[in-house]
Amino acid sequence: MSPDPYSAKVRALFAAPEHGGALENALCTAVEDQGVRISLFATVEEGIVTGLRFRAWGCPHVIAAAEAFCAESEGCAASELLEFSVSGLMQSLTVPVEKSGRILVLEDAVRSLGSIVRGASKH
Amino acid sequence: MTDSGQMIYLDYAASTPVDAWVVEAMTALMTADGNYSNPSSTHAAGRRSVEYIAHAAGQLASLLHTTEDTLVWTSGATESDNLAVLGAAHYRQERGQHLISMRTEHKAVTDPFSELEKRGFEVTWLDPNANGLLDIETLRAALREDTQLVSIMHVNNETGVIQDIQSIGELCRGNGTLFHVDAAQSCGKLPIDLAALPVDLMSVTAHKMYGPKGIGALYIADRKGVHVEPLMFGGGQQRKLRPGTLPAQQIVGFGAAAAIAQSRINDDVGHLTALRDRMWAGIRDIPGVTVNGDIGSAFPGILNVSVEDIEGESLLLALEPLCVATGSACNSKSQEPSYVLRALGRSDALAQSAIRFSFGRPTTAADVDVAIDLYRNGVDKLRRLAPGRAA
Repeated sequence: MSPDPYSAKVRALFAAPEHGGALENALCTAVEDQGVRISLFATVEEGIVTGLRFRAWGCPHVIAAAEAFCAESEGCAASELLEFSVSGLMQSLTVPVEKSGRILVLEDAVRSLGSIVRGASKH
Repeated sequence: MTDSGQMIYLDYAASTPVDAWVVEAMTALMTADGNYSNPSSTHAAGRRSVEYIAHAAGQLASLLHTTEDTLVWTSGATESDNLAVLGAAHYRQERGQHLISMRTEHKAVTDPFSELEKRGFEVTWLDPNANGLLDIETLRAALREDTQLVSIMHVNNETGVIQDIQSIGELCRGNGTLFHVDAAQSCGKLPIDLAALPVDLMSVTAHKMYGPKGIGALYIADRKGVHVEPLMFGGGQQRKLRPGTLPAQQIVGFGAAAAIAQSRINDDVGHLTALRDRMWAGIRDIPGVTVNGDIGSAFPGILNVSVEDIEGESLLLALEPLCVATGSACNSKSQEPSYVLRALGRSDALAQSAIRFSFGRPTTAADVDVAIDLYRNGVDKLRRLAPGRAA
């Protein structure tokens, strides 16, 4: 028996990733691990993340998680990026445990982006 | 779903729908007003079931150009493969314990061989060429005086590559080695003439040729030295080779499917060739797309393609509502790249992006056109989403 490996939310996010792509004049980072590649682009104004985009090479859960992160994190304080954890996304997207490693690549990418944003704000 | 909300099934190498005429033939043996009796019973109803089974055996035997008494009914190709490989190896183990197979065989063959290795047999695993075909000289070099069994499939379930079972069989026969062929993907789809082919054992199944699931057969050539030891015991049916109550309705369904296949096999091949060629023509210009196998000498019902820098699982989801396969159905839950494609020399990434399109009698050109659009759009979408490689 093969139950549907994707939740309805994963299917919807994968089907229409509105934040896929890049932003001009944005801060960006790229992480590659676990066979997954993720690039994140952010625009920040006065400590607030005003725009987020992603590019991702990976399974549908990775793409859905990246899209969900971007959609949920626009408007957040840039400092929150440094504390980002994928545990909430893992739960809301019903990511199977064997894919945890891949989704954690997103966490690494977001925290890397947070570091870049913090570094840029100091200059 | 498509605009019309319908799935498009392009996974006929995994299974086929049961032909309506087959359903009708089977139903007649299942209901209270039909002939549902146990064929092992000696009363009139039981004897009637035996007649139905004999008729079905004649239909399958006719398709394969053999005689009814060379066929042993099983639950499907997996059981047939196990009975052939384990049964023949054990029957001939006093003569020698060397066996040969290929790395690209179905798990139903490789796993019994692996089991035999654990039991002390020696197995030589042959690699295919980059196109999936076995070089006959590779087999010649591997054959030894004590080689008792060679098992090479006819049509590969992932790539559709057709092995030269005539030449392989001649080589085996010259060496005094039994030759088993897994014909799960070719029976009823390509002409098979067992009266002419030097094949000793052949596994076939009904559900890949518009018959029911749960029924297959093993052909055992009526030739000196060709025999298998049974895997099961009890009841003594089928000359004690495969005991158990014969499922008359399944067997009748298989026979009916064989008769239908025999009547239209050339038309089917023409239909599948047109569909396969249409599909390939529609996607071959996509940068980085490549055929796994040898399209020039493959069974036309299967087209297996990989594409560079695309993640296979995402591509599969992007292709919905197409029902296609990433590897063999038995392996499709695995995240691992196909071992068959790895054996062809494909990289992990390329093997992981593989999609197997397999076509059938109900497939239309319009279905293929939708598949072409979905594949092109899916690849384009995922490439637009993908980042460049990190430095």
